[in-house]
Amino acid sequence: MKMTKIYEGAYQWIMYGRDPYKPDNIIDTNQYVVRTENRCLLIDPGGIELFAPMLAAVLHHAPVDEITDLFASHQDPDIISSLGLWGQALPHAKLHAAGLWEGFLRHFGCESIQYVPIPDAGGVINLGSVELQIVPAHYLHSSANFNIYDPQAKIFFSGDIGAALEGPGQPVFVENFDAHVEKMRFFHQRWMPSNQAKRVWIDRVRSLDVEILAPQHGRMFKGDDVKRFLDWFEALQVGIAV
Amino acid sequence: MPMSQNKSQFVAVASIAAELSAVMEVAKEISLAAANAKAIAFRAGEKARGFQPITDFINELAKETIELVNNINEHALKLYRLTVKEHRMSEACKRFEKVAVSASAAPYASSLTPSLQQARQRRTDCRRQFSRHVSELLTQLADVMHPARAARVIAANSRIEASQAGEYLQSLQAVAESVDNAAQIIHDKVHKCRSALSMINAVD
Ligand SMILES: [Fe+2]
Ligand SMILES: [Fe+2]
Repeated sequence: MKMTKIYEGAYQWIMYGRDPYKPDNIIDTNQYVVRTENRCLLIDPGGIELFAPMLAAVLHHAPVDEITDLFASHQDPDIISSLGLWGQALPHAKLHAAGLWEGFLRHFGCESIQYVPIPDAGGVINLGSVELQIVPAHYLHSSANFNIYDPQAKIFFSGDIGAALEGPGQPVFVENFDAHVEKMRFFHQRWMPSNQAKRVWIDRVRSLDVEILAPQHGRMFKGDDVKRFLDWFEALQVGIAV
Repeated sequence: MPMSQNKSQFVAVASIAAELSAVMEVAKEISLAAANAKAIAFRAGEKARGFQPITDFINELAKETIELVNNINEHALKLYRLTVKEHRMSEACKRFEKVAVSASAAPYASSLTPSLQQARQRRTDCRRQFSRHVSELLTQLADVMHPARAARVIAANSRIEASQAGEYLQSLQAVAESVDNAAQIIHDKVHKCRSALSMINAVD
């Protein structure tokens, strides 16, 4: 599993992805970890297949008992079907996920982990020295869907928004935005159902100071590419399957 | 327990539930047959005097079977939950062992040890509980065989009583026939359950 530090201050953001041992027929995902001096948050920890490589990778940065929090942006299997296994490894951890999905997510097995339901309006994840904002992104694509904003690191975790489908082993940052667009178009047109939700979300993100936009698939956007992405997404018609 | 065993365990436990619900249906049929026989015997009056207590007895046996099966169903459900739990524990152990190998060079690799030990302990507990429940279930299933066997004896008696019932002979014989059939079916199904269970425990 490739590990890339994307923020280094009093705490760290680390991106994990491009797992070379991933089975070919499952979608590639990016996992993000926020590591403070004594706590650790896993953002969209991934599917069952990814549990072992992901935990092995995290053990480079944190011991098991300091992995205190998990966040699931929505209910998809590529996000959180590993939940039951995390529950066995981290019996005292908390899962922050939409209240709306609680009865569904528990199908993955959630006996020992504490489920902290996020209300529709969002909220915060407090890691002691760091507080992250949970930003609503409903219907993009999931009906109860959240992003994470870190105002200090200026990192915005956008879940499936900004995702791209491309072959294995690609760089972790967008290098040529225009060339990248084609790898995102179908994903957004087909998986994102609502132009209205899209507009509300874009307004929300534009009001924030974002240096890195970090999606769950594909590459991260840095600096001006964040603005380019928002403009491109704004002009894109989504919900094309009807 | 290897994975294939775990899968066959799921199938065995599910098939037991299926056989049990079939037993339940048949027991209800017997109970219906008993009510039917009672009505006929009432109409036959004197001629079927010997038949009347038999119908009551058949009805009781059916009730007893239904009650036993209800209890067994609860047990089978517990067994199913244990199978799921055991499967989850085995999966967790397998993955943790994988992590322990691939993260051996990671600075915090050893921090996984308590979780791994706990998962192994839980897996052992699950297996132990599972074996205990299987033995209990086997005993309970043997208990269901008793009313079914008794019903067959009674069905034989019913045939003799029916032969003295004049024009009611045929309908009463039909009742005896259906009770006998039903008892045979219950016997077979329970037998299937028992052999499925014995197989799990033997491999265990
Ligand atoms: Fe998704
Ligand atoms: Fe996704």
